[in-house]
Amino acid sequence: MEHMMSKLSESILDKFSMDFLRSQVLKNAYGNDDTVIAALDPRILIVWYLFFGVVPWFVNDLSFLLGCFLLVMVTTLLAHVAGLVLFLFALGVFSQTGYLFLATLLFGGDASAIPPLLVLTLKVATISLASVTVFSGLDPDRLSNGLMWYGCPERLSFSICYAYRMLPMLMEEFQNVLLSYRLRGNPPAHDTLWGKVRYLIYQVKIIMESFYPLMLNTAKRSRTTVEALELRGYRYAAVNKTVKKIKLSALKVSYNDLLFLALSALWVALCIFCSTLF
Amino acid sequence: MNAVEINGLTYSYPGAALPTLTDISLRIEKGDFLAVVGNNGCGKSTLCKVLNGLIPHFITGEFQGEVRVGGASTLDSDVGTLAQKVGYVYQDFENQIVRPTVLDDASYACLNYAFPDYLERGKKALCQCGLEGREEEYIWQLSGGQTHLLALAGAVSLSPDVLILDEPIAQLDPMHADRIYEVLRELNQKHGKTIVVIEHHTEYIADYCRHVLLMKDGQVQWLLPTGEALQHVAELEACNIFPPQVTQAAYRLQKEGKLPSGAPLPTTVEEGRAAFSALRCRLGAAPAPAPRPAGQRAVSFQDVSLSYRSVKGEPRTIFDGLNLDIRKGEKVALIGSNGAGKSTLMKLMVGLLRPQSGTISLFDEPIGAKKAEDLSRQISLVYQNPEEMFIKDSIRADISYAMQVRGLPDWQARTDALLERFQLIKLQDRDGRLMSGGQMRRASLAIGVALEPGILLLDEPTANLDIATRREIVGVLEDMKDIIQTAVIATHDMQLVCQWAERIIVLRGGRVVADGTRDEIFARQDLVDLVGIRPPEIFSMARALDPQALCYTVEEFTNCFQEA
Repeated sequence: MEHMMSKLSESILDKFSMDFLRSQVLKNAYGNDDTVIAALDPRILIVWYLFFGVVPWFVNDLSFLLGCFLLVMVTTLLAHVAGLVLFLFALGVFSQTGYLFLATLLFGGDASAIPPLLVLTLKVATISLASVTVFSGLDPDRLSNGLMWYGCPERLSFSICYAYRMLPMLMEEFQNVLLSYRLRGNPPAHDTLWGKVRYLIYQVKIIMESFYPLMLNTAKRSRTTVEALELRGYRYAAVNKTVKKIKLSALKVSYNDLLFLALSALWVALCIFCSTLF
Repeated sequence: MNAVEINGLTYSYPGAALPTLTDISLRIEKGDFLAVVGNNGCGKSTLCKVLNGLIPHFITGEFQGEVRVGGASTLDSDVGTLAQKVGYVYQDFENQIVRPTVLDDASYACLNYAFPDYLERGKKALCQCGLEGREEEYIWQLSGGQTHLLALAGAVSLSPDVLILDEPIAQLDPMHADRIYEVLRELNQKHGKTIVVIEHHTEYIADYCRHVLLMKDGQVQWLLPTGEALQHVAELEACNIFPPQVTQAAYRLQKEGKLPSGAPLPTTVEEGRAAFSALRCRLGAAPAPAPRPAGQRAVSFQDVSLSYRSVKGEPRTIFDGLNLDIRKGEKVALIGSNGAGKSTLMKLMVGLLRPQSGTISLFDEPIGAKKAEDLSRQISLVYQNPEEMFIKDSIRADISYAMQVRGLPDWQARTDALLERFQLIKLQDRDGRLMSGGQMRRASLAIGVALEPGILLLDEPTANLDIATRREIVGVLEDMKDIIQTAVIATHDMQLVCQWAERIIVLRGGRVVADGTRDEIFARQDLVDLVGIRPPEIFSMARALDPQALCYTVEEFTNCFQEA
């Protein structure tokens, strides 16, 4: 049994390596460009998101919220969102409201606390899933083009793309530094409970100490990137109206986009109709 | 017409006491294929950055004199205009790529300079650089060589007249290196581009370049046609540039009076055939080192399988049921093309990666059962990229770190001894990242041997180094024989392999396709074709003269081939 536990914890630790995080980030950003959601026009999706990201805050009707939740759940499934993101989402939402429920029970509440908590949970979950659909279903390029069409400055949209380009590099660098510590460091033995605590403290300390080499290595690498961006005309594009026009000319609204909007609207109308019935 | 004209250029970096470039005057013809050679730190890269206007427009400093590219002075043009005349590919080219997909990146500059046909231009550039059919791929799906071609395509897309490449093949295996140079040759001959490469692989210079420019201490020594330039053996060697091995051999034979003096030295194997035609192979093949008695198993792989997760689709299998033993006392070279699994194999040995199945043992104990501390005393890995080994703010702290945290009683004395041995005393308080390539490599070796591991793994120890530093590294390896009993080097550097290794393991697609001494490996033509490894030039030269000859170094060649 103990063996199994140690095997299990090892495999969980193994899963949660930097390598895994890196591949999840990439997967999330670019790994699902062939889904229904990714093919939609980013402008349409942003409008769609504005509705499902804002309206649930102001509505308390259970059946309407449930309907919205079901819809965004379907879109999230359609977007093939990476496992890690969904896991973080589930952990976030349910630790929040689950903990409230526990606190309620502890201070003399009973099961009557469930419906109001459920409403809160549904609101948070709907909004989060809508965000997940839009921000991880679309690849960063399309998203930033969409934002640019609505008048966001070019620098913001470039930053989004570039962050996604840099993030894996940053993580790779971080991984390398951690590996160096692992190869040369001398972590405390962690067989006993006290040893485990010390091991944890050691790990945190290493992560903090990794910051210095991480930043320097990344800075060294980005020196070339900065020069290359200059050569490749990044600064010209930022002030040139024609470039913006060329970029945005690639955006087109298709029947699929309209269909998507129509289906969403129909579903919402249906939910409102149901909620007036009951 | 001249593509580039420089008159009386003197330049100092901001805050530097001495100028990096001093009084340079230079003409580069249109359509030339020019190699710039010189010592580390002689100002080659700075000269190239002057041509594309990064100096003085982006990097300031003291700039005197005049640089004209395509007739226009760089002082009067801005970086954007110049970028459309001069394309630049950095040595660390992967940092030059800023977009996620291949076509996106190739057309990025054209989009930024507002060409409405930017996609067509990108496609055309990809085609010219031999990347057609890969437009939709993501950049992390590309191999090192393909990434370099993409960086080149990004520069070519603006259709500049001049292309500058800083050490284009430093990190590539011979097959990929050939590919890059073939593409450059085509750009030069078919599309009339002027090409400037900073290069110290003189074999490639002899094969591809038309002119050679030698720089020394920020000054131009000479600019000569390649054939003539490579005759200046003594002068080149003084600048740590080693002419092709064929040329070196002819130079020595001439000095010994075995070849008529005064005749031009051959620079390629083809020219060598004629030049050495009077010589006959006297000795048989050099006696192969006697097979040493099989020692204890130092590292052993049993049925090891490993696959990586990939962004999309199935995980990529690196090893499938790998079996391999490395015995105590062996000097092993691990060769194979980029992506054959060399680095992964090393990471498995030090326990940084764990196999999905199978066992890896060090001295007959599975590494899973070993404590990390014991492991690091027995085996140590020096990364390909030395920067990744620096985790402290000074070299001294980096070298002592592993000894200090293990509480070794004499760690300070041992750190001093290591600093002494690797000639790092003067640099001990500097941050490793700010040192030169050769210094970084020495420091990373010192870090790697600090715990006196019985097994030392070196990943590409000579990549990006000039020949002198490379010799120094080989010297250090010899020097450390008393501490390091077993050493494994992963490398593309066949001269290093032939000089140093006793056993060569050839990897291809995660499988060991050959394993033996250098005679057993290089004499097999089928293997050379299959894996794309290339024996040192002198070896091919000897075989061209006499199919029975097996010479791996210039010394062996000059001893073996005598007057008939």
